[in-house]
Amino acid sequence: MNFTFHRKRISGLFTVVPSNESSFLEEMKNFNFPEARSLKLKEVMGYDKRRMVQPGVCVSDLASFGLQKMFDRGLLAKDDIDALILITQTPDHLMPPTSNIIQGRLGLKQDMLCIDLNQACAGFVLGLMQAFMLLEQDSIRKVVLINADVLSRKASNKDRNIFPLIGDAAAITVIERDPNDSVIHARVKMDGARCEALTIPAGGLRLPSSAETAVLQDVGDNNLRAKDHLYMDGTAIFNFVQTEVPPLIEGLLQQAGRDKDSVDYFLCHQPNRFMLQKLADKMKIPHAKMPNNVVEKFGNSSGATIPIAIITNLKDLVQKGSVRACLAGFGGGLTWAAMLMDLGGLAFCEMIDYP
Amino acid sequence: MNEFLKKLAEVLEVPELKESDELKAFPQWDSLAVLSVIAMLDSNYGVNLRAADLGAVTSAADLWNLVQSKKK
Repeated sequence: MNFTFHRKRISGLFTVVPSNESSFLEEMKNFNFPEARSLKLKEVMGYDKRRMVQPGVCVSDLASFGLQKMFDRGLLAKDDIDALILITQTPDHLMPPTSNIIQGRLGLKQDMLCIDLNQACAGFVLGLMQAFMLLEQDSIRKVVLINADVLSRKASNKDRNIFPLIGDAAAITVIERDPNDSVIHARVKMDGARCEALTIPAGGLRLPSSAETAVLQDVGDNNLRAKDHLYMDGTAIFNFVQTEVPPLIEGLLQQAGRDKDSVDYFLCHQPNRFMLQKLADKMKIPHAKMPNNVVEKFGNSSGATIPIAIITNLKDLVQKGSVRACLAGFGGGLTWAAMLMDLGGLAFCEMIDYP
Repeated sequence: MNEFLKKLAEVLEVPELKESDELKAFPQWDSLAVLSVIAMLDSNYGVNLRAADLGAVTSAADLWNLVQSKKK
């Protein structure tokens, strides 16, 4: 499905990562896994350092902490927030929406809109689209988009398939109208028929969490996982990305009347180094134009990885200059989405530690 | 076929590979190797295999035949 947006821009990026850092090689010692293979995985997949919350820390904790810091530093005024969109798969509660919890904790105005959306790794692109649509309203001048997840709390620490790659983070993006006549193109596809490739089977109403869903099961290769835990069919997701993402981006560029060379950076969701290198190779894009260094520094934090990729690689460029960027997110749902937009003149582009 | 065996040997990090070699017998044959083989077949032969397809393969020649049948 194709979308076009006019006169919208990102005016600032702010990211919160837990200060608690964990090392892949140290962790793998607990797995009784040959060190040579760990080193190989580190090299190929880029698993190295990642950030995880301490027990008990929730999405609203990371998000409120970040917003409060932004208020304190004068990057954002409390009363200027007309809409708060929170994209998460790890809400504080089933009810109420976590965005309302954040609003209440920070004492934001009542004359505003709070929305929770359940989206995974495509959550940054989907969130921007929601923000652009809200900005069509006269009463909405500033939208705050928060992509936050604490998926480490849902990953089995005895599952080598998932535990070493997950990171936690909250990315806060401020979106406004653009006085310039800018055009943003986007393309989204969904396939619910393949939803089981990325899932947390228990904990909702279909299969409530119980003593039974907490039981660790041997899922092969000495990996243990319960139904309460995050499950990913790694090779199916790899195939999905290799097959679906290149035509999505090519279609988007065609729709916008641009070619690959006119794009400065392809800023993709960051599942691991291997997948992004293979994606770049398949699309014949130089590796330097598709950063893949987020997982090695922070882990895969779902919808927050694109903002982290921008802050890690283009911090100065997007503040002092401007880049033509193709954003692409892909994952749970399954959902895959891409967006072509200029990133420039950001008032701030920062990362802080929690707490 | 020779080119294919050479590429497969590179993925498995062994000096050489014969048609009759059983892939799963290599200690290097793990989930990363499976992913690397899938990626290699995709970029070199334009064939997109699933992990389950690879599960049914025993020898290097079997894999070659599977790739040929998918190419058509």
